[in-house]
Amino acid sequence: MTVTLSGPEIAGDFAAAVEQESHANLMACLQCKKCTSGCPVAALADLKPHEMVRKVQFGQRDVLSSKMLWQCTSCLTCATRCPQKVSVAALNDGLRRMSVAAQTPSKSAAPTFNRIFMKAVRKRGRMHEALLMAAFKLRTLRLFDDMGKLPMMLGKGKLPLWSAAAPGRRERERLFARAAQMKETKP
Amino acid sequence: MSYAFFPGCSMAGTAHDYQKSALAVSKALGLELPEIPGWICCGSTSAHQTDQLLALALPAKSLSAAAGQTVAVGCAACYHRLKAANWEIAQSAEVRQTVAAVVGRDYDGQTEVLHLLEIMARDIGLHKIAAAVKKPLTGLKLVTYYGCLLARPSDVNRFDDPENPTLMDQVLAAAGASVLAWPHKTECCGAGYSITDVAIVQRLTREILAMAKAAGADCIATACPLCQMNLDLRQADTERASGERFGLPVFYFTQLLGLAFGLSRKELGLKSLVVSPHKLLADHGIAI
Repeated sequence: MTVTLSGPEIAGDFAAAVEQESHANLMACLQCKKCTSGCPVAALADLKPHEMVRKVQFGQRDVLSSKMLWQCTSCLTCATRCPQKVSVAALNDGLRRMSVAAQTPSKSAAPTFNRIFMKAVRKRGRMHEALLMAAFKLRTLRLFDDMGKLPMMLGKGKLPLWSAAAPGRRERERLFARAAQMKETKP
Repeated sequence: MSYAFFPGCSMAGTAHDYQKSALAVSKALGLELPEIPGWICCGSTSAHQTDQLLALALPAKSLSAAAGQTVAVGCAACYHRLKAANWEIAQSAEVRQTVAAVVGRDYDGQTEVLHLLEIMARDIGLHKIAAAVKKPLTGLKLVTYYGCLLARPSDVNRFDDPENPTLMDQVLAAAGASVLAWPHKTECCGAGYSITDVAIVQRLTREILAMAKAAGADCIATACPLCQMNLDLRQADTERASGERFGLPVFYFTQLLGLAFGLSRKELGLKSLVVSPHKLLADHGIAI
């Protein structure tokens, strides 16, 4: 794929904001494509890992709506192999957070899943997988995905219907509240 | 020998057979694994994708409860998140201070975290494992699958060689298995999308299963609940989608070790495996 670069902005405000959010060391990228060569989902991607980096360097904000943000599996192969110590995985995490904060529309169910997951951690402290699945299905109306596996999973004891929550809910609620507060006051 | 055990949510749920077999094998090796009291979820992928601060504070809360001890982990994702929190907190006073303000308690990032494979191969030692073997896994051809987050990123995890880890190979070879060479030890199974994007998972697991088959393996050994689930629970779907037949049982390495130690199927939770291992084990005279 060819990336068309437009505009004169190099390492401008957007690139700086992304670097601050991700600590990905993105201005060190040499475009050697080692990240893309080893990326397990590069073949599916609208933007390949090295292209994501280049577009951010050039201040192109449309990366925030790239499908790649929610296709990257966070496998860290790119970060491990990069000769310049750039982490596309960290870059993607930063872009995901920025994309969600900017309420960028996405077809992926991953942001919804993340919200449900973090709410469950706050309330229960430990994930109860059956409850997590149920909440996700109700929220996304994907009621029938994987339903065929349910009897088998129950039979094999893989989906206990009850599991203990971790103690200390009130302390956890405070921990989450302090994290949220700190995020707001961050410069 | 005693380590503070961080089970993580999967070992307490879908991967209860991993937990069962890990505890049984540890007991046979004289390793005690009392749980960290009040441990909480590491936050996994969802935390680092949504909130950098919580991604550090959640592990820090559990790790500070085990200060002064060494923590044992079975799940590769928990392992990496605990290690990443230690790494970030230990190398920046500012991060340490911020995390302490969120957790409500200072944590120095110094609680050592080890995966069960590291403990068994290095701390307990291969000679002790070999000495505990009663029914060697002779003739069982397997490939070891480490997935992403044990070996990567190598500077943070310090687990083993990031491109060709061998700890699981060594442990299972000590139990008498024939561990085959193959190139997909650390390829990604797409675990993070197991629920939200099954198409990605099927695409990636297909590659792994096909390569294991091509390498001549009878079965796959894993050391992570998410890797195991994607390769085992979704194997039939992957076969249907690609039109291939794999029929590869996917064990936890602790189940294979347990079989070599002469533990029963029940003690090792073999019933919970989706691709049945019984014919394979019977053919090799391993099952009890």
